Amino acid sequence: MTTTAQLTPRALPPRRTPRSLGGISARTAVTVALAAYAVVSLYPFLWMVSAAFKTNSEVVSGGHLIPHHPTLQTLSDTWNKLDFFEYFTNSLKVTVLTTVLVVVVYAAASYAFAVLRFPGRRLFYRLFLALLFVPGVVTLLPIVLLESRLDILGTHWGLILPFVNGSAPLAVLMLTNAFNTVPVELREAARMDGAGELRIFARIYLPLARPALVTIALLTAIPTWNEYQLTRISLNDPHTYTLPIALQAMQSESVVQYNSLMAAALIMVVPVIILFLCAQRYFVNGLMGAVKG
Amino acid sequence: MAANLTAGTDAGTPGPGSAGTARATGKGRTSPAGRPRRTARLREALWGYTFMAPALALFAVMGVYTIVYGFSLSFAQWNGFWPQWHWRGLRNYTDLLGGSPTYAPIVRTAALNTLYVMIAVPVLTVLISFPLALVLNSIRRFQGVLRSVYFLPYVTTGIAVYFAWQYILEPEGAINLLLQSVGLGSLSQPQGWLGNPDTALPTLIMVMVWSAVPVSMLLYLTGLQSLDGSLLEAAQLDGAGRVRTALHIIWPLMRPMTLVITLLNLRDALQGFQMFLIMTNGGPGDSTSVLGLETYRLAFLSELSPTLGLASALGWLLFVAALVVAFLNQRATRRTQ
Repeated sequence: MTTTAQLTPRALPPRRTPRSLGGISARTAVTVALAAYAVVSLYPFLWMVSAAFKTNSEVVSGGHLIPHHPTLQTLSDTWNKLDFFEYFTNSLKVTVLTTVLVVVVYAAASYAFAVLRFPGRRLFYRLFLALLFVPGVVTLLPIVLLESRLDILGTHWGLILPFVNGSAPLAVLMLTNAFNTVPVELREAARMDGAGELRIFARIYLPLARPALVTIALLTAIPTWNEYQLTRISLNDPHTYTLPIALQAMQSESVVQYNSLMAAALIMVVPVIILFLCAQRYFVNGLMGAVKG
Repeated sequence: MAANLTAGTDAGTPGPGSAGTARATGKGRTSPAGRPRRTARLREALWGYTFMAPALALFAVMGVYTIVYGFSLSFAQWNGFWPQWHWRGLRNYTDLLGGSPTYAPIVRTAALNTLYVMIAVPVLTVLISFPLALVLNSIRRFQGVLRSVYFLPYVTTGIAVYFAWQYILEPEGAINLLLQSVGLGSLSQPQGWLGNPDTALPTLIMVMVWSAVPVSMLLYLTGLQSLDGSLLEAAQLDGAGRVRTALHIIWPLMRPMTLVITLLNLRDALQGFQMFLIMTNGGPGDSTSVLGLETYRLAFLSELSPTLGLASALGWLLFVAALVVAFLNQRATRRTQ
């Protein structure tokens, strides 16, 4: 945040007195445009929040963004009656394990690609990037068949392993870029001091690549939390359900209770927003670093 | 590849000498500098494979098998229950590309819809996110807050927000109410925005743009903040206004960024279908069927019909299309730089 604040004034043309655009100052026009897009951005989210605090009769009777009789009943009913605690912990387990594995496995691999010299390095690097273009839908069925043979179909590991592998292209691309920007001199100095490969990796490269690591963690955690296709095909036992499948089950009931559905959606969305707000300082810098690198 | 070459040439192997002696040099050579350097190189390679091993092992199990299996399935006829595949060679591909009276029309409709999406989403995303980033970059107050607000759609994109959009787009939903309350009731959709075959696809395109703008805006913002300020000052001294500066100086400089954004959106438009599956499932009629969704349907929603091979073939056609798009994009980038 602070870095961008310092950067911005330099990139700016010098501030001039606002020019008039048909009686409205340019600054007003800019403010209106910015506010308008903020509303567009937030719009579905606002309705989600609004419906989650309404009773079902108020939702059916229609349309005020501000609930007339705001109630916490809908949220607490949804959480209690529909086993949301179980779904929530399932989602959390899958997401956390996937994210940790992605960061550990591909940080190590990217270190090899960026820093170490060995035969086949570029070939393997390109192999991981090429995965980016394989449509997920082609491998969906083979994954299900493979997992039923390995006897992990329907388990959470049956989700985590394909998710981790599916995150490979982006993680390898971003982390290799990040490690490449670390000056070689640091590594050479550490070797002179007798540091081994593992120590150099853990003490020099990982800390310096922290924005990229946080970014990759977020870019893995968010889609994993929301993943729907493989989860829907492979999970059968309601006790293993994650939040998206629980939501889907609510929506396919004969009468959709929009207030409960939106309460459930809100339960699903809020942790991601909190995570993003906590990590966003790293996230923005990490994304920018990845693009520049 | 380059690593291979250097490893062979500057590792201290003797120039003259038979293959036999060259092979023996690893152990028998007595050059004072050669030996430690060679073992260091060997150790580095071993570390390289060690660091890479978990990723590679996972890829061998979850990646290679599934890709090879999916590819060979694309030449077969199977419904998932028959004990045996029926080998069909290239006929799955020719059927999809026009040979089959059942599947070719489905593919044609879906391809046309996909094409609309592939054109509309990148164009609209660029048209919205470029000015947005410009304006956001030019303000100092609230920049951080607004950037977070604009980024929210990316963070929340997924089944929860698709359901929220469905709720808003209902016949009694917020969009219709909004239109009526500002006196534009004639524009509202009595069947809901997703219920009318004419508005369903454009509506989904708008939702896709809504979720594509955040990343694109952030990428443009990155580009803008790395611009050289003196260039813009020079333009202003020459009398160019804000709009002229934006169009004739900043926009051309942002071209590599625009190409990255276009590629990302094209790939999503070509292969993504989750939103279509959840919000309309291709309907009403086939007005929102897209290629990714048709692939999914052939694979998982066709009950006992032997369409798994067709699904796989359609998926690989998408793969080829994505490669072509990526290749064209790379050519375009190279030409502008």
